[in-house]
Amino acid sequence: MADQPTAAERFIQGILPENPVYRQLLGLCPTLAVTNGLKAAITMSAAVLFVLFCANVIVSLIRNLLKPHLRIVIFTLTIATFVTFADRFLAAYVYQMSKVLGPYIPLIIVNCLIICRCEVCASKQGVVTAGADAIGQSLGFCLALCSIAAVRELLGTGMLFDIRVLPVVWPDWVIMVLPPGAFLTFGLLLGLVNWYSDRRAAAAGGK
Amino acid sequence: MKPIQQMEPLSPTAFERLRNNNIIQAWLVLILTLCFGSSLAGIQMTLGPKIEENKLNETLEKIPELILGAEGAQKLTESGEKLDVIPRSFVVDKPGKKAVYNVYEAFDKDKKRLGWVVKTGGQGYADRIELLLGVDPEVKTVSGIFVLEQKETPGLGNKITFEEWRGQFKGKNTETPMGVVKGGKAGAGDINAITGATISSRAVTDIVNMAVADLKGPLTANAEGGK
Amino acid sequence: MAKEIQIRESAEAPVIHVAPSPHLSHTAQTTRTMMRDVLIALAPVTGMALYVFQAYALRQLAICVIGCLAAEWIFTGMRGRRATLWDFSAAVTGVILALSLPGTAPWYIGVIASFTAIGIGKVIFGGLGMNIFNPAMVGRAFVMIAFAGAMGAAGYQDASSAVDAISQATPMDAFKQGGAIAPLSALFWGNTNGSLGETSAIACLIGGLYLCIRRTASWEIPAGVIGAVVVLGGIANLLNPESQWTVLHHILGGALLFGAFFIATDPVTSPLTPKGKLIFGTGVGALIMLLRIFSGYPEGVMFAVLIMNSITPLINRWTIPRPLGGK
Repeated sequence: MADQPTAAERFIQGILPENPVYRQLLGLCPTLAVTNGLKAAITMSAAVLFVLFCANVIVSLIRNLLKPHLRIVIFTLTIATFVTFADRFLAAYVYQMSKVLGPYIPLIIVNCLIICRCEVCASKQGVVTAGADAIGQSLGFCLALCSIAAVRELLGTGMLFDIRVLPVVWPDWVIMVLPPGAFLTFGLLLGLVNWYSDRRAAAAGGK
Repeated sequence: MKPIQQMEPLSPTAFERLRNNNIIQAWLVLILTLCFGSSLAGIQMTLGPKIEENKLNETLEKIPELILGAEGAQKLTESGEKLDVIPRSFVVDKPGKKAVYNVYEAFDKDKKRLGWVVKTGGQGYADRIELLLGVDPEVKTVSGIFVLEQKETPGLGNKITFEEWRGQFKGKNTETPMGVVKGGKAGAGDINAITGATISSRAVTDIVNMAVADLKGPLTANAEGGK
Repeated sequence: MAKEIQIRESAEAPVIHVAPSPHLSHTAQTTRTMMRDVLIALAPVTGMALYVFQAYALRQLAICVIGCLAAEWIFTGMRGRRATLWDFSAAVTGVILALSLPGTAPWYIGVIASFTAIGIGKVIFGGLGMNIFNPAMVGRAFVMIAFAGAMGAAGYQDASSAVDAISQATPMDAFKQGGAIAPLSALFWGNTNGSLGETSAIACLIGGLYLCIRRTASWEIPAGVIGAVVVLGGIANLLNPESQWTVLHHILGGALLFGAFFIATDPVTSPLTPKGKLIFGTGVGALIMLLRIFSGYPEGVMFAVLIMNSITPLINRWTIPRPLGGK
């Protein structure tokens, strides 16, 4: 256990160095599906934060009771429960947003990001580390979703958070709020991130 | 060649047998299922009614506007009055199938019937379009439509939700089915198509025509007999 | 430093052409001569577009060609490659792109389409010869979906235009939405409305036959496209005899001939072997008819070509020629 990262390390790692979307390429279904507006992206990230945090804490608490061949069942059970909580909660208090997100909230159950964090971190480390990891990863997820959503919403509708930013003469790039726009934006941003980190690695290596 | 036979396992003790039993191994799963299941039931019991209410409110909120128009609805809210709304459902026999319509009957405070709001839907260009259709008590004219759900192409087909377009339906006569006309040259009984989205425009118009044709008989019969 | 040298070397290394046998017949062909042939073949279409749409055509052509050349220069520069402006491939993409847009489309559509065509359609895959999809069609598909309002029905119509043709709906649109039938002669000579290059069947035929005779384009692809359209159009006609939109309308109308001769024949994105080319052409033709008859769009050439582009590697694999004596 000595070589396991500490809570602070886990937290930092989740945000940029091991960003779930840009580095691990996990959870791409919501990344592509709900990033046509910043509001939807942030609600989605909040739901993921809630589910991931709860699942990580519970799994971490019961980690010593887990049997290796039954652990996936328990992870899924825990995740599904909290996803249902989140879904019902959104439907009750932010009904419009829950209609916009549609099936993508229930689909958090199959988001590999969460089961990956349960497996990699929560089932091996203590509650504090697991919690910090969940928050770090969710912030990273939120950052990624928002970066894609900002590009798509701005180009596609000329607005950010449903508030008009660009002048009215701006021709809306409708393709950006449609699924192809998600793929294009994500691909280009991913390329940009890789290019940037390559350059940083090259600069660090040259010293 | 015969596969190598496995060795007979040593006969386990009773305790070991119990420990290897599938059910016993899964004790954690079972306990978690119980805990999670009961908490989910609790959540559903507390939030369920609120969710149902949200769904219903979405329809009810629109009823004054559909019956009285935007200004009438504004006045109504200012005066603090409310319409009495009675949800009903009508079954219409059609060749080969039965169509069920949820209809909301709206009364003012003097119990005078103001009109009907019909929840209806049909296939659009991309997906089903769900809409609310308001008609006057005698089902002679359309008093307004509102699009509840649609997934038409952004920038083209989704203009069916815009007030400028759906406002066209207001005051249309229901004697003859409405047609869809391109190029902004619609006559009195027609609807102007959205440029580049004729299919979506036609879909909405067809849904409205269909609902009017189906419900005209039952609603007027009800209006006369119900007094 | 070492990396830089390597790149320069690879850029200056002789280009090795890979082609099926016989290997002797095409020795004189380079990218540049091929692209020059395409430009010559596009001359009648361009001329017709300039005649019918006048200033609109000139403006759109200028925007797209300059846009494509600029995009090529910028993006190849970003990749640290020598700019490949003088093989004319970017210019050809620009001309085809311009001819596939309506003349009245606003300026930014041409610019965005050009940058998407070269950037996302070509350079991102590794430049000329590496792209999976026809760059001009990638650019057009992008703006078609992004600015459907300015590209679709409305984009073709401009009541204040001096040219009579622009104030009409396109023949395909008019048929799809109103059931109106354009006269065959108008479709043949090209004095109808539409995207710049697609209106005149005769101009497409002249240019296309030149390409086929020069062997710059393989005759199998247009033959496959037209053959499939004739067969499927014929079936559609038989099933629905009262329709006035006959097989000939299907062939002469819309972007069919322009697409068959100039877009589908792009050597990079179409299969290598004659058999593969025939399959490719037939597939494009069949998809065009499918889209024209059953989809919400009046025309399907662009999507048909893009879909068939995506299965070109598969066709290549199916139709590997068997070497002499091989099994």
